[in-house]
Amino acid sequence: MPLFLRGLGNTAWICLIALIGALLLGIISCVMRLSGRRPISFPATAYIEMIRSTPLLAQLYFFYFGLPGLGLSLSETQTGIMALSLNSGAYIAEIIRAGIMSIPKGQLEAATASGLSLYQRLRYIILPQAIGVTIPALLGQMIVLVKDSALLALISVFELTRAGQLMASERFMPAEGFFTTAAFYLLIYFVLKLLSQQWQKRLIFQQDRG
Amino acid sequence: MWGTYLENLIESLPFFLKGLWVTVQVSALSLIISTLGGFLLGIIRSTRIRTVNIALAAYVDVIRGTPFLVQIFIVFFILPEWGIQLEAFTSAVLSLSIYGTAYICEIVYGGVVSIPKGQTEAAISGGLTWPQQMRYVIVPQALRPILPPLVGQYVLLIKDTAVVSVIGLTDVTRVGWFTVQRIPEGILVFGLVGLLYFFICYPLVWLSNRLETRLTTEKSTL
Amino acid sequence: MISFRKVNKWFGPLHVLRDIDLEIDKSEVAVICGPSGSGKSTLIRCINRLESIRSGELYVDGIPVHDKKTNLINLRAEVGFVFQQFNLYPHMTVLDNVTLAPVKVRKMSSAQARKIGGELLEKVGIHEKADSYPAQLSGGQQQRVAIARGLAMQPKIMLFDEPTSALDPEMINEVLEVMIQLAKDGMTMIVVTHEMGFAREVGHKVIFMDEGQIVETAPPDEFFDHCKRERTRLFLSKILTH
Repeated sequence: MPLFLRGLGNTAWICLIALIGALLLGIISCVMRLSGRRPISFPATAYIEMIRSTPLLAQLYFFYFGLPGLGLSLSETQTGIMALSLNSGAYIAEIIRAGIMSIPKGQLEAATASGLSLYQRLRYIILPQAIGVTIPALLGQMIVLVKDSALLALISVFELTRAGQLMASERFMPAEGFFTTAAFYLLIYFVLKLLSQQWQKRLIFQQDRG
Repeated sequence: MWGTYLENLIESLPFFLKGLWVTVQVSALSLIISTLGGFLLGIIRSTRIRTVNIALAAYVDVIRGTPFLVQIFIVFFILPEWGIQLEAFTSAVLSLSIYGTAYICEIVYGGVVSIPKGQTEAAISGGLTWPQQMRYVIVPQALRPILPPLVGQYVLLIKDTAVVSVIGLTDVTRVGWFTVQRIPEGILVFGLVGLLYFFICYPLVWLSNRLETRLTTEKSTL
Repeated sequence: MISFRKVNKWFGPLHVLRDIDLEIDKSEVAVICGPSGSGKSTLIRCINRLESIRSGELYVDGIPVHDKKTNLINLRAEVGFVFQQFNLYPHMTVLDNVTLAPVKVRKMSSAQARKIGGELLEKVGIHEKADSYPAQLSGGQQQRVAIARGLAMQPKIMLFDEPTSALDPEMINEVLEVMIQLAKDGMTMIVVTHEMGFAREVGHKVIFMDEGQIVETAPPDEFFDHCKRERTRLFLSKILTH
C-alpha cells in the first residue's frame, strides 16, 4: 500500500508540472496559430498537427531515445514531463481555439464597431466568454493527461502504474497490483469529473444572474 | 556517422512496413468491432431503462477513468490467472475493442438523444415499432451528429494501438523500439515511426475536420 | 367512436386531467379550446397513447386504450396525428415521409403506397413537391404534408394538436382549407385550436377546457353566442377580440 501512495504522489506532481507546461505551450501556440501571418502561424499549426497525428508513446520514445543522441541528458522523469507537456499543449491549443471561435461573430463586430482596441476586445469580450466554455474541456484534458502519465511507467518512471507493475513482477500479485492501480485512477477521474460538473453548475448560475 | 545510421534505417524499412501492417490490422479489426459494439450499446443506452443505463454508465466510466495501459495489462496478465490464455494479437484486439466500444457508445448515445422528441412522437403516431423508429427515423438522423466525433475517435484509437507494443505485439512502435537498440539514433528511428503514424492518421484528422464543417453548415443551406 | 369515462392523469403532483367524460361519434368534428396548461393537448395525446392515463377508461373504436395489453400498433394505425411542430422526417423526401408508415406498418407494397401517397399529396395540394425535402418547403406546405402523412394510414380518426399555431398568418388558411375539406368528407376529427372560424364552419361541438376539466361542451352556435359558464365567457372574450 505505501508503494501505491508514493506512486500516486509522484503521478500527482508530475501531472501538475506537465499541466502547467502544457497550458503555457497551449496558450502560446494557440495565439501563434490565430495570428494572420504565415511565418508565425505555420510552425504552430505544424506542431499541433504533428502531435495530434502521432501516438503519445511514439513521442515519448522519440524523446527518451532521441535526446541523448543530441547530447541532452535528462532524467526519465524530466523526459516524461516534457513529452506530456508537449503532447497536452497541442490539445490545449485546440481547446482554446475552439473556445475563442465559439463566440458569436456578431459580438466581435459590435465590439470593434464601438471602437475597442484589440487588447480591450480580448480582455473584456473574448476571454471571459471563452473561459467559461473552455474550462470543462480543459478539465477533460487534465483527465487525459493523468491517464497518459501511465505511459511513463514504460520508461521506468516510478509513478502509479509502475507501482502496479512492480506488484505484479516482484511480488507476483498482478491482480491486486493492477486492480489497485485502476482503482486509484478511477478515484482521480471521479474527483476531476465532479469538479468539472461543479464548475458547469456554477457557470449556469452565474450566467443566469448576469 | 549519421550517414551510416540513415543507411541502416533504410535497410530496416521492410521491418517497419511489416510493423505498419500489424498496426493496420489491429486498428481495423478493433475499429470494426468497437463500431458495431458501440452502436449497439449506444442505441440500447438511449432507451433510458434504468438498470441498463446504470450498468452501461458504470462500464463507460470505468473504461474512460483508467489508462488504456492499465487495461491492457489487466487483460494480458490477469486473464491467464483465470484460465484464459490469449496470445498477444488477440489480447490487443480484445482490450482495444472493449476500450473503443465504451467511447463509441457515448458518441452514439449522444447523437441519438440529440434528435428532437417530436421525431419519435411522429414515428410512434404512425404506428412504427421501436426497432422501426430507430432504423428508419432516428438513427439516420443521428448519423449527422455522430460522424465527426466518430472519425475523431477512430484517430485516437489508432494512436492507442501503439500501447499494445508493450505486450510484445510487433507493431510499428515495437519495431521502432527494437530498431533503436541497434541504431541508437532515437530521433531518426522514432521520427520514422511518427511519420508512419502520421500517414495513417492525418488523412482521418483532416476528414474529421471536413465532416465537422460540412455537416454543420449543410443544415443552414438546406 | 371515442369514449372518455372518468379519465384522470397526473404529471407527478400536477393533476392535468380531472374526471374527463367525453363522447365523440363517428364523423363528428370536435374542437377543443382553452388557455395553455388546461390539458387540451394532453387529452388528445391520450387517444393514441402518446400519453397514458392513470385512472378511468378510454375506448377508441372499441379498443380499450387504458388496457396495458392492448396492441398499440393496431390502435395507432387507426388514428392519425398532426403536430404543432409538423415533425416531418427531414432526411426523407415528402413522398417517403408519407409512405413510410403504410409500407412498414400495414405492410403495403412500395408501389401501392406511393400511388396512395401521390393521391393524398394531390388532395392537400402539393403533389409537385413529392420529391422535395421538408426543409425546402414553407411551414404551410410542411403542415399539409404532415396531414397527408397522417391520412396515409387511412385512419378512422384524425387528431390535430394546434396545427396552425406555429405558422405565419398568411399560411394558416391553406392548412385550414385542407382540414375543412377533410371534415366535409366525413372524417372523425378532434382539433385543438384557437381558430374559431374553423369551429363555426365545420365543427359539430366545441369543448372548452380549463385546469384539466371540461368546463363546457356545446354546438358552435350555442357555444359562441349563448355560452352558459362564466369561465367560458371570459375565455371567449379574450380570444375573440382579435
